[in-house]
Amino acid sequence: MRGVLKIVLVVAGLLFIGTAVAYAQLPEPRAHEFPYLGNRGAVWVVAQLHILFAAFILGAPIFVVVSEILGWKNQDVRYERLAKEVTKVTVILYSMTALTGGLFIFVLLATYPQLTAWLINHFFAVFAVMYPLLFIFETIVLYLYWYTWDALQGPKKLRHIMLGVLLNIIGLATLIVIDGPTAFMNTPAKFAEGGMDLKTFIETTATLWDKMNNYSWWPLNIHRTVGNVVFGGFITGLIGAYLYLAAKNDEERAFYDWFGFVGNLIGVGALLALPFAGYLLAYELCDYDASICPYMMADQLSMFFEMQGAMVGLIFLASNYYIWLSMKRIEGLEQIRMRTTTLVLMASIPVVFMLIWTKFPIPDKFALILPAVWVALFVIAGRFLKWTVGAQTLVKVAFLMVIIGNAIWMTPHAFVATQALAPDDGSLSLPHGELSLGFVTISWGDLALMPAKNAAAFTLVFVTVVNYILYNRALRQGRITWGTIDFAAQFVLVFLAFSAIWTMTLMGAVRELTRKYFHVFNLLYDFTPESYTPTLAYSSWVFTGVTVTFYIIVSFAIVLTLRTGKEKAPAEAAKGVPAVAGAE
Amino acid sequence: MEAQRSFIGVVVKRGFQGIVAAVVMWLASRYLFHFPPVFQVMFVLYALLGTGVFILLDAPSLSPVSGIKAIALLVGFYVVVSLVFIAGASALPQYDPMVEKGKIEKIVKPKLAATEKGKIEELLKRTKELDAESQAILKRLETLGGEKAKRIEASIGGGASAGAAPRAGGGNLVALGKEQYELQECYNCHKIGGKGSVKKRGPVLDNIGNLMKTEEMKEKLLNPRAWMAEGFEKEYNKKLMPDKYKELMSDQEIDALVAYLSTLKDASVQTPKPVKKL
Repeated sequence: MRGVLKIVLVVAGLLFIGTAVAYAQLPEPRAHEFPYLGNRGAVWVVAQLHILFAAFILGAPIFVVVSEILGWKNQDVRYERLAKEVTKVTVILYSMTALTGGLFIFVLLATYPQLTAWLINHFFAVFAVMYPLLFIFETIVLYLYWYTWDALQGPKKLRHIMLGVLLNIIGLATLIVIDGPTAFMNTPAKFAEGGMDLKTFIETTATLWDKMNNYSWWPLNIHRTVGNVVFGGFITGLIGAYLYLAAKNDEERAFYDWFGFVGNLIGVGALLALPFAGYLLAYELCDYDASICPYMMADQLSMFFEMQGAMVGLIFLASNYYIWLSMKRIEGLEQIRMRTTTLVLMASIPVVFMLIWTKFPIPDKFALILPAVWVALFVIAGRFLKWTVGAQTLVKVAFLMVIIGNAIWMTPHAFVATQALAPDDGSLSLPHGELSLGFVTISWGDLALMPAKNAAAFTLVFVTVVNYILYNRALRQGRITWGTIDFAAQFVLVFLAFSAIWTMTLMGAVRELTRKYFHVFNLLYDFTPESYTPTLAYSSWVFTGVTVTFYIIVSFAIVLTLRTGKEKAPAEAAKGVPAVAGAE
Repeated sequence: MEAQRSFIGVVVKRGFQGIVAAVVMWLASRYLFHFPPVFQVMFVLYALLGTGVFILLDAPSLSPVSGIKAIALLVGFYVVVSLVFIAGASALPQYDPMVEKGKIEKIVKPKLAATEKGKIEELLKRTKELDAESQAILKRLETLGGEKAKRIEASIGGGASAGAAPRAGGGNLVALGKEQYELQECYNCHKIGGKGSVKKRGPVLDNIGNLMKTEEMKEKLLNPRAWMAEGFEKEYNKKLMPDKYKELMSDQEIDALVAYLSTLKDASVQTPKPVKKL
């Protein structure tokens, strides 16, 4: 019965899209006024909700298949069970993705009919053929993947894994196809230099490929794919936390403790690449039109980026705190030590890398060579200098570096939300004081510039990698008992998922807002009265509202699918018993 | 009990260290960096956050709870986190949308008027206004005698011709150009009178009126590759100056901007020399 309901929801979503495409063909569709939220607010909320569901259903299958392969290869039932339980939630949320997707198109059509009609006509093959077809294929493969799980076991397991791989290929193709129009709205393709103007080109000779293959298309594809894995990982952590809280016995607690650990590992692992993927996207936006850069970093959106810095710092702090809590229960931790050179290297990164990148801005070749040489020097020194520090000391210094790194990330260039309004006496610019270290001089002003931000981001990543290396060493040399983690760790997992979603809504809004007063940047003006940058304070209510709504739906999906399903299948007990750390 | 006592000791020790760090951060951000209050608070909060983290690192394990208690704890946690995020975002300096709204209206209104929809809307608006005017005149005519009505009719005719007088003279063109400079946010990359970009993106323009002729300026605006400012080779090669103004600005707006830039003749400010490239 539940399966039928899911299919009905997916079909309803597809019908929504089909009707919308047909409606867009009507001459002069009329705009409606959305009550309370306003038209922009309504589209904002529905679109963001749809993207959140889509992010999970596209991100989760990537590591679900990996987990299934690990379970199959290592004959570890825990990986198999993790993959199956995450897929179960994915199936439910898939219906929600279809439903919110259809609703999004409808709300868009009702509130911005001319824009929607324009977009559909310019991307007719995408909206009317490719996207629905891919969606139908994905639905079929997802349900096949789910419903054949038990049937395709043993010698047939490889077929099931191949189905999972196919699901991921279709999912990725769907993402890439729908990113085309999205990226086009930010950076519509230009004609070759000195040729036709943008409007004439787009309205006359531009092919669908010209429109799809625009500046920010691939950066957006990369950013969203990495972001989806981060998101899927943290939501898996959330599932683990919920079920740990609801666990009735030690076996369940052991399994869900491990489940949450794996979710966090996936989330953090992919998170390490996210700042760089985001940087690439921002770089391409600025490269497309240099006026976007000041709007983002120094003007109306500058405080959105300050908030992003704070959120990323909190996420890194929380994920490292989770590692700490997880490590604390490992017996024999006190004997784990690391070279002192690692500690010194960690502490040196913010300053040294900032100086290197100020002198040789990325992508200069020395911007890569010199940091690599610096790290190599410490690795070599570590071979000869035998001094070591305890794991706990190293982790504490690592936390200090996360806080320092984040404070650098947050250091502003100017002190108002927009430099346009700054008085011309320079009083709002950073005083460019200097500090001489004898052989090198550091300017305070440099702390506010991109090289410092990059060094700060690298510090966060480096510290987290070191923590994981340390943790891995502790796992190999010590003894871990799953299910005995500090209870606070479950709240850390909940916090990580909540913060990741909030940050995703924040950055989604930033990308949309970079279009300024255009529906399609530099091409299609937004003549509605809501065409302006909302304040961060107002936006934060929208982010929180969307996050909480998403959380409520996901929480219900987790409780309904996993708690109720569990009573029917008690035989699927986990092998979550105390084990030697690192044991297969 | 022993563990509890030792944790209290940790809280006291870390708390003291945290307060010292917060005071140092506050003094440094206020007197050394001269940050405004909101960022002084931010750095103090970072010190306190660090203190909190270091206290948590040594905190004893939390006792597990389940059932309704766990749900209540979760809901409470969500409420606190939501409020902290909203408060954090609201505490940062906020941009005033009214400023931007005024600018956007000035940019977008002429574009709307140029579209079919805009023309129809403008016509409808004008029709309504004329209708209201004629109704008012009719009412007055009804109350007045014939001679008076003729005089009113004549005065209406005179008013209409006065309204058709040209709106912009030379001075207005420069003012319009200055407005365009603001609207197109040229200040994000250029500086005039020391006001504008704090980063090196585009040249200072204080003396540009002495260095370029109006046609040359127009050429640069319409085709940014045509000219390069001396010392800005890197920015020129990166094509930092957007190639969009010929599409986004009308001929009159470009002429006005050029007229304004031509008035910038402050030889005391060092302005990079323009170099012809194409």
